[in-house]
Amino acid sequence: MSENAANLPEELQLITEAHVKYIQSLDTRKDDYEYWLTEHLRLNGLYWGLTALHILGHPGALPRDETIDFVLSCQHENGGFGAAPGHDAHMLSTVSAVQILAMVDAFDELQARGKGNGRAQVGSYIADLQNRQTGTFAGDEWGEHDTRFLYGALNALSLLGLLHLVDVDKAVEHIAACANFDGGYGSGPGAESHAAQIFTCVAALSIAGRKDLIDIDRLGRWLSERQVGRGGLNGRPEKKEDSCYSWWVLSSLEMIGKTHWIDRDSLVAFILSCQDLQGGGIADRPGDMVDVWHTVFSITGLSLLGYPGLQPVDAVYCLPKSTVQRVLG
Amino acid sequence: MPPKGKAANKPKANERECSPKQQPQQQQQQTSSSPAPAPTPTTIAERSALFTDESRPFESARRKSGIASLPRDAQAACIALRFARLPAPARNRLPPKSQRELWRHVNDASLPIRALKRNYDYGAAGGWSFERYADWAAKRTVLTCLEGASRVFREKRESEKRGGSDPVTGERVVLTQGEIDEERGRRREMAALRKELYGVVTGRLEADPEWDDVVPIPQEEPEGALATISYLGEYAEAISYLRAVMVKKEYSPRCLKLTETIIEMNPAHYTVWLYRAANIFAMKLSIPDEIQWLNEVSLEHLKNYQIWHHRHLLIDNYYPTIADDAEAVAAFGASERQFLQQILAEDTKNYHVWSYRSYLIEKFGLWDVPEELTSIETMIDEDVRNNSAWSHRFFLIFSNPANSTPGVAATEHDPAAPAAVVDREVEYAKEKIALAPQNQSPWNYLRGVLVKGGRKLGSVEDFVQGFITGLGSDGEDVKSSHALDLLAEIYAEKGDKKQAELCLRRLAEKWDRIRAGYWEWRKKCLETA
Repeated sequence: MSENAANLPEELQLITEAHVKYIQSLDTRKDDYEYWLTEHLRLNGLYWGLTALHILGHPGALPRDETIDFVLSCQHENGGFGAAPGHDAHMLSTVSAVQILAMVDAFDELQARGKGNGRAQVGSYIADLQNRQTGTFAGDEWGEHDTRFLYGALNALSLLGLLHLVDVDKAVEHIAACANFDGGYGSGPGAESHAAQIFTCVAALSIAGRKDLIDIDRLGRWLSERQVGRGGLNGRPEKKEDSCYSWWVLSSLEMIGKTHWIDRDSLVAFILSCQDLQGGGIADRPGDMVDVWHTVFSITGLSLLGYPGLQPVDAVYCLPKSTVQRVLG
Repeated sequence: MPPKGKAANKPKANERECSPKQQPQQQQQQTSSSPAPAPTPTTIAERSALFTDESRPFESARRKSGIASLPRDAQAACIALRFARLPAPARNRLPPKSQRELWRHVNDASLPIRALKRNYDYGAAGGWSFERYADWAAKRTVLTCLEGASRVFREKRESEKRGGSDPVTGERVVLTQGEIDEERGRRREMAALRKELYGVVTGRLEADPEWDDVVPIPQEEPEGALATISYLGEYAEAISYLRAVMVKKEYSPRCLKLTETIIEMNPAHYTVWLYRAANIFAMKLSIPDEIQWLNEVSLEHLKNYQIWHHRHLLIDNYYPTIADDAEAVAAFGASERQFLQQILAEDTKNYHVWSYRSYLIEKFGLWDVPEELTSIETMIDEDVRNNSAWSHRFFLIFSNPANSTPGVAATEHDPAAPAAVVDREVEYAKEKIALAPQNQSPWNYLRGVLVKGGRKLGSVEDFVQGFITGLGSDGEDVKSSHALDLLAEIYAEKGDKKQAELCLRRLAEKWDRIRAGYWEWRKKCLETA
C-alpha cells in the first residue's frame, strides 16, 4: 500500500473480525422476512459468504461438513442444482455449487454422494443448456440466454475438467458479437455495456484462451472511466458509484492487465467507507444497509488492490487463487 | 367449575353463596396481613386460588398447628371430610348408620366433598378479568360449534367423492355452490377465532375448501445442514401447497391463482414463475391477457429479473402465432413499446427493460418503426446523460439490417452504413454534447459513429477544439476532459506527437487526475508508435 492509504484515519481500516461475524450470522437470521425472500439465492449466498471468508483468511468459519451436505441437498437427478432444496435446477446455482465444492475441496464427495455419475452428471446438465447453433447458454431448460450463463458454464465446466463437453468456439463467437461500439460488452448482442456483463465476457474469453479478441485499449479506457469523484466505481456511464463494481470493473481490468489505470488509494478509501463499523458487512455506498453481495465483491476488490492481510483472489473465477491452483494445477 | 362451597361473606363476590364456616382460614389470612377482610379476587387466577382454599377448609390451620388445635366443630368437620373423600369402596365399609350420619353432617355444614388441585396453571389467562374469561369461553363454544358444522361439510364432501347417497332421502350426495361458499365463510370465521383464542394462524389455503383435496408438502430439511430453510406463516403454507401441486403436475385455474399469491409475496421466487408459465401453456391461456397481468406486476417490482424472463418466455411462445400477420406484429410491437415507455418512465436506466427492448426490436423486426427512434429521442431530451438510451439508439440505427452488413461487429467500420445516416448521427451527437460537454455518453457515441462510418477522428477536430482554449498556457480552459482526450487522439492520428503529448499531460496533471495511470500509458504509446 502506498503512503496515502497508511495515513487513512483509524476507522478506515478493514474490520476483518466484524465481517467474519457478520457472515457467520447470516444463517442464523431465519426469522427475518428478508431471509426467506432471498431463498432463491441461498446457494449463491453461501458461495458469496464462503468466498469472502476465504479471502479474509478465515476459511474454516463455516462448518465444512454442513456446507457440503447443504450443497448436495440442492442437487436434482439431472445433475443440476437448485438455489435451495425444492427449487428448480438453474445454471447460476449450479455454478455456485461447483465453486463451493471446489473451495472446500469436495469434488470427491460430489463423485461419491452426488446424483448419477457425480461430476459427469453436473457436466452434462450444463452442457445440455448450450444452444449448439448459437453457442449461447440458457439459464435453465426454458431457454433464456445471457452472457452470465455462458460464463458460468465455462467457469464450472473448466473447474470440473469437462470443458470438452461444449462447443467453446461457438461460445466465443457469441461473446464477440456482444461487443459494443464503446468497447464494452452487454448481456447479449445490442445490449448496453455493463461492467458486470463485461466481467462475464472477459472471464469467459480468458477461460477459452481467447483474450486476443478483446479490444484491450478501448475496453480498458471504458472501464477506467468508471471511477468517479469519491474514488468509487460505477457500472455504466453517468450512474452512481457502488462498492460491488470494485469487483466487476477491477477484475476485468486485472484480466486485461490494466488495473493501474484507476486510482487505487481513493478506491480503497471508498470501499472502506462503505463498511458497517458496528455490525460488520459492507454496503453499496456509505451509510446504506449492508448485504453479503456487496460484502464479498468489496472484499475481493480489496484483494485485487493488494490490501494487506487479504488472500489473493483469482480474477477469472472469483475464487481464492489457492483454490484455482489446486483444482486446475 | 369450582364446587359451590360456601365461603365467607365477601362484598362483590356475589356469584358465590355465603358460608359460615371459614374462621380458621380468615384467621390465617389475618396473620399474614392487617386485620381486614380477604382481598376480593379480580382475576381468574386469584379467584381460582380462593376457590381452592375454600375447597380445602381448615387445611392451612391444621398444617400449622395440628388438628388438636382446632375448635371442636372444626375437628368434627375435618374427620367428616376425610371419610367423605374416601373412595366409595373404602367408605362403604362404614356401617350404614355411620354413613348416613356422615352425609348429614357434610350436608348441614356444607362441606366441600372435592378438593381442588392447587396452583392450577391458567397461563397468560390467569391475569384476565372474569368478564374477559367469560367472553373467551363463549367464543370457544362458538368455535366448537363451527368445527362440528365443518366436520359435517367435510364428511359430506368425502361422501360426494365416494359417490355416496343420503341415508334419509337416498339421493346421491352433491355439495351445492351455496354450501361451499357457506363453508368458506365458516372457515374464515374459524380461522379468526383460532387466531383470537389460541394465537394459531390458519393458512389461507387451509381455510379454502377449494384446496381440501391437496395435502401440502412441507419443506424437508437435511438434518443439521447449513443454510436450512425457515419459512414464516402464510408464505410457508402457500409454498407447501405449491410443492404438492407441482408434484402432481397439476395445471388448473387454482394453480394459476396460487402462483399469483406467491408472486405477490415474493416475486423473486424463480420456480414459481416457471410453474406459472407451464400452467399458461398447458391450459393454452391467452398470452396477451397474461402480458396484461404481467404489466401490472412489473410496474410494482421494477428491479425484478424473473418478470423479464417470464415475458421472454411468453413472447417466444406467442410470436410464432402472429408472425405471418404483419398488422398483428405491428400492433403488438406498439403495445409493448407503450408499456416499455411506461416502465422506463419509472426507472429510466433499468437494464432488464432495455435488454428486453433490443430483443423485441430484433425479434419483431421493428427497426424502421418511426416511433421507436422518436421515443428514444424524447428520452435523451429528458435526460441527456441516459447512457441506456444512447446505447439503444446505436443499436437501433447501426444494427438495422438496412444499415449494416451481417457479421460486422459493433466496433468495426461497416461500409453498409449510409453516409447520410452517419452524418446525421454525428450532428446529433455534437448537438447533445454541446448541452453537457462533460457527459460521457454522447462522446462515446460520437466515437462509435465515426468508427462505424469509417471517418477519421480529425473530421470533428474543429468541433472538439471548441471546448479547449489556450492549452498549456496560463489562460488554459477545458470545458470537457473527453474533448481533450479525443483531441489527443486526433493529434496522434495526424502524427503530431508533441501536441498529443501535451493534451495527455494536461489530462494527467489537471483535468482528469484520478486516471493519471491511464494517461501515462497513453503517453508511452505515443512514444512507441
